[in-house]
Amino acid sequence: MKSDKIHVDTLVVGGGIAGMQASLDLANQGHQVALVEHSPSIGGMMIGLSKVFPTLDCCSCITTPKMAATAHHENIQLLTYCEVQSVTRNDDGFSVQVIQKPRYVIEDNCTGCRSCELVCPLDLPDVENEFGRTAHRVIYVPFTTAVPQKAIIDIDSCIFCGKCIKACPADCIDFTQTPQTLRVEARTIILATGFKVTPYDAKKEYGAGNLRNVIDAMMMERLLAPTGPYGRVLRPSDGKLPDSIAYVQCAGSRDETLGVPYCSRVCCMYAIKQAMLISGALPMADVTIYYMDIRTFGKGYEQFYQNAKAMGIEFVKGKVGRIVEDEDQNPIVRVELIDDNSRVAENKHDLVVLSVGMLPGYDTQPIYDVATAKDGFVQIPDSNVAPTVTTQEGIFATGTATGPMDIVDSIITAGAVAAEASAYMHLHSGSPAAPAAD
Amino acid sequence: MPEQSDKSNPPEKELGLAPDPSPEEEPRIGVYVCNCGGNIGDVVNCKQVAEALRNIPNVVTSHSNMFMCSDPGQKLITDDIKEKGINRVVIGACSIFLHEQTFRQAVERAGLNPYLYYHVGLREQDSWVHYNHPEDATEKAIRLMLAGVAKARKMEPLEPVRLQAEKHALVIGGGVAGLRTALDIARSGLKVTLVEKSHFLGGRVAQWERVFPTGETARTLLQRLLEQVQAEPDITIHTGAKVVKTKGYVGNFQIHIRQQPRGIKADFDAVDQAIAACPVEIPDEFNYGLKTRKAIYQPYSGCYPAGPVVDWEHCTHCEKCLEFSHNHDINLDDTPIEFDINVGAVAVATGFRPYEPFPGEMGYGKFPEVITLPQLERLLAADGPTGGKLEWNGRSVRSLAMIHCVGSRQVDDVHQPQPDGQVNNYCSRVCCTATLNAANIIHERLPETRIYDVYTDIRTYGRGHEDYYTLASKNGVTFLRYFVEDIPEVYPAEKGSYYSMLVKVKDQLTWGEEIELPVDLVVLAVGMMPNPVDDLIGLFNITPGNDRFLLEVHPKLSPVETSVVGIVLAGTAQGPMNIQESCTAAAAAASKVVVLLGRGQVEMEPYVAQIDIERCQGNGDCVRVCPQEDAIKLETFSKNGTSFQRAVVTPANCNGCGVCVSTCSHRAIDVLGWRLDDYEAMVDAITAEIPVLEGVPA
Repeated sequence: MKSDKIHVDTLVVGGGIAGMQASLDLANQGHQVALVEHSPSIGGMMIGLSKVFPTLDCCSCITTPKMAATAHHENIQLLTYCEVQSVTRNDDGFSVQVIQKPRYVIEDNCTGCRSCELVCPLDLPDVENEFGRTAHRVIYVPFTTAVPQKAIIDIDSCIFCGKCIKACPADCIDFTQTPQTLRVEARTIILATGFKVTPYDAKKEYGAGNLRNVIDAMMMERLLAPTGPYGRVLRPSDGKLPDSIAYVQCAGSRDETLGVPYCSRVCCMYAIKQAMLISGALPMADVTIYYMDIRTFGKGYEQFYQNAKAMGIEFVKGKVGRIVEDEDQNPIVRVELIDDNSRVAENKHDLVVLSVGMLPGYDTQPIYDVATAKDGFVQIPDSNVAPTVTTQEGIFATGTATGPMDIVDSIITAGAVAAEASAYMHLHSGSPAAPAAD
Repeated sequence: MPEQSDKSNPPEKELGLAPDPSPEEEPRIGVYVCNCGGNIGDVVNCKQVAEALRNIPNVVTSHSNMFMCSDPGQKLITDDIKEKGINRVVIGACSIFLHEQTFRQAVERAGLNPYLYYHVGLREQDSWVHYNHPEDATEKAIRLMLAGVAKARKMEPLEPVRLQAEKHALVIGGGVAGLRTALDIARSGLKVTLVEKSHFLGGRVAQWERVFPTGETARTLLQRLLEQVQAEPDITIHTGAKVVKTKGYVGNFQIHIRQQPRGIKADFDAVDQAIAACPVEIPDEFNYGLKTRKAIYQPYSGCYPAGPVVDWEHCTHCEKCLEFSHNHDINLDDTPIEFDINVGAVAVATGFRPYEPFPGEMGYGKFPEVITLPQLERLLAADGPTGGKLEWNGRSVRSLAMIHCVGSRQVDDVHQPQPDGQVNNYCSRVCCTATLNAANIIHERLPETRIYDVYTDIRTYGRGHEDYYTLASKNGVTFLRYFVEDIPEVYPAEKGSYYSMLVKVKDQLTWGEEIELPVDLVVLAVGMMPNPVDDLIGLFNITPGNDRFLLEVHPKLSPVETSVVGIVLAGTAQGPMNIQESCTAAAAAASKVVVLLGRGQVEMEPYVAQIDIERCQGNGDCVRVCPQEDAIKLETFSKNGTSFQRAVVTPANCNGCGVCVSTCSHRAIDVLGWRLDDYEAMVDAITAEIPVLEGVPA
């Protein structure tokens, strides 16, 4: 039961892996945490992935237990489908106004039984989770492993037929819901606002999103995921099993023309990982990765890259200049082959995956007055020694809010931000950060 | 429930009956088979397994599910416990290392004792190894699950061993990672002892010139951190100190420390004369051998703790320095001191050392013009051997080549292995940006100097790192790319040539052309190797990985924890990292320590030995074989006037290894939760004919 006013030690903004881990680390130290997430389920970008490098663990097997642990922790209060509206500083920290967006379903009563989904007569493309490749009902639980397991109504598409009202065993459909305002009093704030990917249609040389068999890596994650739309890798134009798949690296990173001069640091590894998974799913398929530099810098990553080479995945150095398609919608990649006597080649593939990069997910400037750097991510003034401390006292940042990073690094920075916030609260109250022995 | 006592509460010396291990309530078992998102389900027919288990005695319900570990999956279990009265849970899924805690918490949330759940490893022990034999794998899964059910029938509720925890942590290593860990732990209200084996804090960072991506000098960064550490009253620092012996477990490690004396008082005022008088000259490790130092030395002025020390290894006791010593300012007879501390957790921040090229590797050690990147940093440093001037043979360097991936990304049969037979097949991740940073500094100071950058891949991955690459390109650095099959060759130019050295590169950027670079200086961007910590590995029972760096439990689930609860990793002891990454990892390690110790109490697994005192004959075999200290001992009991000896277990010291069980000829010992009867029942279930098994009584 949510009350209108919530007192916590720390407000964590963003329920992706970094926000969940920061919440768990603080809660395990005995701090009270409220976790605000703008979408109806926590889990962030990570819950949409297939398997994760370098261990090739199934991604859900890492994410869903963290989601469950976050949701069930006695010191963590989840505020899903909520957005921070304003932040004011007071003597004890911050007073934060949070808007609870209407689900049109009474959250406390919904059991996630999905009886409503069975009777709802309308299907909508599932754009949020599956890039429109599958459908969900107008009333729906966001996805199978969503936390919380609560239904939500897409009110703009609802025809108010009332079937869900009749079907709901818990009487929790409420078309009259309006946005509610909550007030959270917190001593510290942690920004874990994450990233979004560079739009795959941004680059006109790569077809500007008009080539049907050119997809981005997040779409490929869904094709590879066990919970994905088809349960296998099919190419979009004709549903064919692709025999030849190409990855175009730095398609949205290290590219001044897109305003993204920096390296997004995850794309090399996820492309190699996807190539390995494709090799498993489609053993006869050829996979080619066109790259500028292979940046497999993390622990165990170089060995991962060498394994991929040994598996027969082809690595071709060269920045792809252009992608067009033939009459059968096969993408044709034009590339200068640096390793091969500087020949310009036009290589035909069945499917091309753009290894898109990371952009900041959220501008922290307007509401939090937390400065961002020229790359748009949260500015960290003393980035070497205090990698989670922002320009605002008492406000910390973690995960991809502070720049591109992979899951391993996000989890590490989440641990770091918990230490920083805990130390800050200890210093500024004199009371022990952790409760005494009981 | 057997009473479990900790050290402060020794077992009472009276003879009681062993508790009855058989559960009183009728087992009602819930069976759950996880597809693990295809990891299991793509090989094992999970539905069939769940079906096969459905009609087994005591099994009340049996399901298969895509992700048992997800919230809906867990809800399946908790609902069954609440609604169907399930009192034993058997889950066939990944491995206990991944999700034992997850499921224990779920079971406990539903009101059941968390030890009434048993985890069958269907992924590692079945689907992953038998992926080519789905039918056999399914049968094996059924057998493993049957064994799980057999075990579940015998499971009993257990309580974790709860122990008082010292709210005090030990940090080993005084580089940036150790300093940052100490600071973060102390700031959260715990006490910290930091030991550093050298006599000075700051580690490798003190030797660096200017650091990326902030552009500040390493010394100012370090100074800032050191000031914060000094201002923290809850941090005690011992330099020149090493951990030599350890005992205990999470919450209560007893650490024995040996500290070398400094030999010289901090306020000694004739330092320079004493150093000048010392006749010993040895290579100065702080300057990576680019100059020499005496047996009385300080690495750099402004070091912390301030003032010189005696290098006991190299001091010849000639006593020439004593001429300048008044009031016993110098004491060459000083001896090490030893002391114990009790801590609840340990952070290992023992850092790295730069890769040392083999003699002759790319000309290193053979030609003085070939140096390493850390040596270059010393040449660039204002307090370095050349006062910050990049000079070679008395004149400014006019042309230099920097070669990447020396000692990193190595390949078998191409590179010479380390003494352990392994090459360094990992990326050291720091060297690319560090090299470009140095190139840009050189260009800033000597704009006319020609710089060649010979690389394999440029890995400027971090935030702001790409800017260094872009700037280097703008600065006119010439990039050449080599493949590992064609390692660049370094050799001297003909006598009288304008440049003394040549570097031959088969350059892939010009389609494999062989290019000779005429240079004054060759800089090898050497990678990172862990500082040798075999002693700590032995003392704490922690594990190195194949790359020799210390191993974490799981990169995502327990990224800074070792397999020993209470021992965490901070910084480059775990793998190559830059300063920012070290500080991040250090703070994360601190966070885990605070979680562990903040409550002043730790919980340990209840799987400890238990004596059936009726059966025990007191012959002491178990005491003799026990590898732990103080885990099991013979005590004298009396009954009806006769006294006799019986074995007694101290649960806090027992690690549940079971050696005592195997040695007891009277079958008087069992490990709680893993009794011999359990194993027998499981083996019977695995080997039984499957159809016949349905008739086996519960």
